[in-house]
Amino acid sequence: MSKKYFGLVALVLLLSLTLFGCGGQQAEEQPGGNEGQAEEINYDGEIKIGLMIPLTGSEATYGKDMENAMKMAADEINAEGGILGKKLVTISGDTAADPQQSTSAATKLVSSGVVSVVGGYSSGATLPTLNVFADANIPQVIPVANSTKIIDENPGNAIQINGTGFHQAEKALELFEGIWDVEKLAIVHQGDGYSEDLAKLTKEAWEEAGHEVVAFEVINKGEQDFSSLVTSIKSKNPDAVYWTAYYADGALLIKQLRQGGFQGEIAVGDGSNSPKLMEIAGNAAEGVVCTSNPMVEYLPAAKEFMENYKANYNQDPGPYSSLAYDGMHLMKDAIERAGSTDGDAIIKALKETEGFQGISGETTIADNNALANSNFVLLEAKGGQWKLIE
Amino acid sequence: MSAENPKVMEKEIQKPLSPGRFTDMLYELLGNKRIRYSVYAALVITALVIPSFADNYVLEVFTNAYFYIILCLGLNIVVGYAGLLDLGYAAFFAVGAYTTGILTSQFGFNFWLTIPFSILFSVIAGVIIGGPTLRLRSDYLAIVTLGFGEITRIAARNLEITGGASGLIGIDRPMLFGMRLYQIHHFYFLFFVLVILAIFISHRLYNSRLGRAWEYIREDEDAAEAMGIDRVRYKLYAYVMGAVFGGVAGSFFAVKMTAISPQTFLFTQSAMILLAVVLGGMGKIQGVIVGALLLVFFPEIFRGIGDMRMLVFGIVLLIIMVFRPQGIWPTRRS
Amino acid sequence: MSTFDIFLQQLVNGLLLGSFYSLIALGYSMVYGIIKLLNFAHGDIYMAGAFVGLIALSFVSGIVGAGWLGILISMVFSMIAVGLLGVLIQRAAYRPLLNAPRLSILITAIGVSLVLYNSVMVLTDGEFKAFTTDLGFAGVGLGNVHITYTQIILVLATAALMISLNLFISKTKYGKAMRAIALDKDACRLMGINVNKIIAITFFIGSALAAAAGIMAGVYYGSIHFFMGFVLGLKAFTAAVIGGIGSIPGAMIGGLVLGLLEAAGTQLPFIGSEWKDVFAFSILILLLVFKPTGILGKTETERM
Repeated sequence: MSKKYFGLVALVLLLSLTLFGCGGQQAEEQPGGNEGQAEEINYDGEIKIGLMIPLTGSEATYGKDMENAMKMAADEINAEGGILGKKLVTISGDTAADPQQSTSAATKLVSSGVVSVVGGYSSGATLPTLNVFADANIPQVIPVANSTKIIDENPGNAIQINGTGFHQAEKALELFEGIWDVEKLAIVHQGDGYSEDLAKLTKEAWEEAGHEVVAFEVINKGEQDFSSLVTSIKSKNPDAVYWTAYYADGALLIKQLRQGGFQGEIAVGDGSNSPKLMEIAGNAAEGVVCTSNPMVEYLPAAKEFMENYKANYNQDPGPYSSLAYDGMHLMKDAIERAGSTDGDAIIKALKETEGFQGISGETTIADNNALANSNFVLLEAKGGQWKLIE
Repeated sequence: MSAENPKVMEKEIQKPLSPGRFTDMLYELLGNKRIRYSVYAALVITALVIPSFADNYVLEVFTNAYFYIILCLGLNIVVGYAGLLDLGYAAFFAVGAYTTGILTSQFGFNFWLTIPFSILFSVIAGVIIGGPTLRLRSDYLAIVTLGFGEITRIAARNLEITGGASGLIGIDRPMLFGMRLYQIHHFYFLFFVLVILAIFISHRLYNSRLGRAWEYIREDEDAAEAMGIDRVRYKLYAYVMGAVFGGVAGSFFAVKMTAISPQTFLFTQSAMILLAVVLGGMGKIQGVIVGALLLVFFPEIFRGIGDMRMLVFGIVLLIIMVFRPQGIWPTRRS
Repeated sequence: MSTFDIFLQQLVNGLLLGSFYSLIALGYSMVYGIIKLLNFAHGDIYMAGAFVGLIALSFVSGIVGAGWLGILISMVFSMIAVGLLGVLIQRAAYRPLLNAPRLSILITAIGVSLVLYNSVMVLTDGEFKAFTTDLGFAGVGLGNVHITYTQIILVLATAALMISLNLFISKTKYGKAMRAIALDKDACRLMGINVNKIIAITFFIGSALAAAAGIMAGVYYGSIHFFMGFVLGLKAFTAAVIGGIGSIPGAMIGGLVLGLLEAAGTQLPFIGSEWKDVFAFSILILLLVFKPTGILGKTETERM
């Protein structure tokens, strides 16, 4: 018995050490944003807005970027007097990028009385929640889930403010045909809804344009060694490789492609537009081109956001935070245009969004409740930084 | 192997472990039939009245808990009754979910008609997985079931008919007596009925000839064989029964979620279901239910601590296992 | 590239990946051999090794640079630290359960895995960490087959570790005691062998080897993250079973076999990267059906 206790005590000690290392700041953030300067303003009640982001699991890193950005937006909104004179309070729902957890997080947000929802990262976790919010008539701004399936399944209460897969495939073709003039293409995705969707759309478009896709491959999430895949791709002699998923694994793939002596061009999708791609891949990333959603670095309007974000969180904003940030401001804009917190009125206002100026550019919503105009740009990795290709 | 000796297990149970005291007292209490049935009746009534005051979130969590109870009771037949290790149980659940998903969305089947097909395909999957593997030693069985679980998931991810990585979307909600089931309290009752059914079947199986045969095999395989029990056949029955539970649960899961994708059927899912069964108490229906409830409720209760919740869950799991290795509410051997 | 070049290059790829699998599979097999536990936390030990190594490297790189010397120092440090972590985990979580039902200790291992994985996730904020070293892509070429010096050194280091392990197990008295305990724990206790100490040593060695693999992975791939141990842990477990779980040479062979199978699966038409894991698992199942104890496993009757 005493031996049992000994072991347990040792374990608990070890664990509490880990807990203390990081416990502090976590607790305070719930549920609202950072309070700070907003305290003197007298608000006329509260408006709760739910955030749907992955805070645990393998996608947690992107989720936290987005949460930070949205809370920053909330703080700014509150500092300027809130929404309709009410204080904006954010409630985070952890989707863990998993369909079941997402559904549960979504119902939790609905039950806690949120007026609207900003968020939805990864199409797989977003799709099953669409109906949860639709049934409760809660408006949603989806910043980062661009499987075209969302357009098909959208029950009408949600708008997508990121460019769609069609837009991105179009941009990719522009790069392959217009700038690189390549013929044989290899496409690699990561076996999740989003990257598979983009890979398939690109493949269809490329073949329709009369070119050849010589390899259509997949990398399993969490694997590190792609050398066999690199050899297999090389043996099919593609002129270019297009990676449609996220930066972390993309960096490994790029590095291993170059290490394995692949000489052709490499392009990556918008999930890879983080500066971390270059940090991890090093010199191998030189010359890689990204079909990207507009990134904060090249947007004059985003300069302030960038600086504030770095000052607040001591890190780069990551690939999706600008859209998340815009999503929050757009929601505020829509609620004020609606003039009330009524679900139908906000949904109507969201759908009527035209020429909303965010830090990532102009947002106009088309009839399919997605972004009307492609806002994709081409970025090239040069000297460890993304440079816009005009 | 001293570890398998039931006598050692029994000694563990009788130790005055403090967290176990409570359940031991519960035992005494539930020993009395009248008290037992009143407690169960009270639980059922509570479950029935919950929807009248709870909000949707609470109902969602309960529905999810019921769903895991069904899965855990199914796995319990394999692990608890027959003593076979299974690390790929999510495969059966996937078979059921995809069967319903594909038949309703691509072939226009009525949901209720897909259930016999779910059962059929689960049986086939159970036989395919069980057939070649049941002669293996338990730890080899572990990797083979894990392998089948992964094969099922990867196949679902790669095939066209399963919708690839995005999975199946827009699965129709079922109709029942002319009413469309789509709200959370509909599914709450639907899964509750399934739970009662699953408990009933589990209970009957445990006390049947089949259940006793499984017990023999679990306790002493060679002796069971010597007594004339065809051990491979009975093990296969256990697999198939477990598969059917998983398959049916999967069918209902598909219509509740309306969207299913391969990421639901990861190894982690199988590991969590197994975890609930062992944590609760293998072979004991009440124990398994407690395990499933803990698995679902714990992370929900601790949603507030954000990314720390799974860490805390792991710590609590360790503490429980160290103090009560036989599970929270284990079977008692007479 | 000619077919022969492709074959050679895939052989190299497979062996290199396989040697990682082997190093981690060794830990699985050693622990299984001695206390019959499938230690599901082992993949996370590998991950912890990589992170401890990265922290150590960030300290020593200021003094000796992030070249081979720096890497070696941090590797030794990480092996010791993570070896001790392994012993602590064994002492706290597994030892109280040695006489409990087998499945309980398996679940405890899953619990340890959850705790390790989530602690690192919380501590790193779920970020990928770049594992920056001064090593380049330079190497030797055999025709179209390219092998970097880093790859060569990693394979040599793996081989050195395995040879030392074999020497340790066959020549020292601790190694002898390990083998004896694997055969009959109770008899060993009666013979005066300090069984708990030997089990602790086994955990130390297994964890240290996984830590070594973790650092090598960091150096080779250039980035580490909190879930890197999950997939690799499962694969290493598979490798250990292919080789015959409990058998040390079996784990080495199993790792290489699995690495080669994956490389072959990726290259072969109609399998490719999409189906390579299905290919590897199918071969595993077929192998077990025809040789139920793996390549080098011994036949023994036993129940759960």
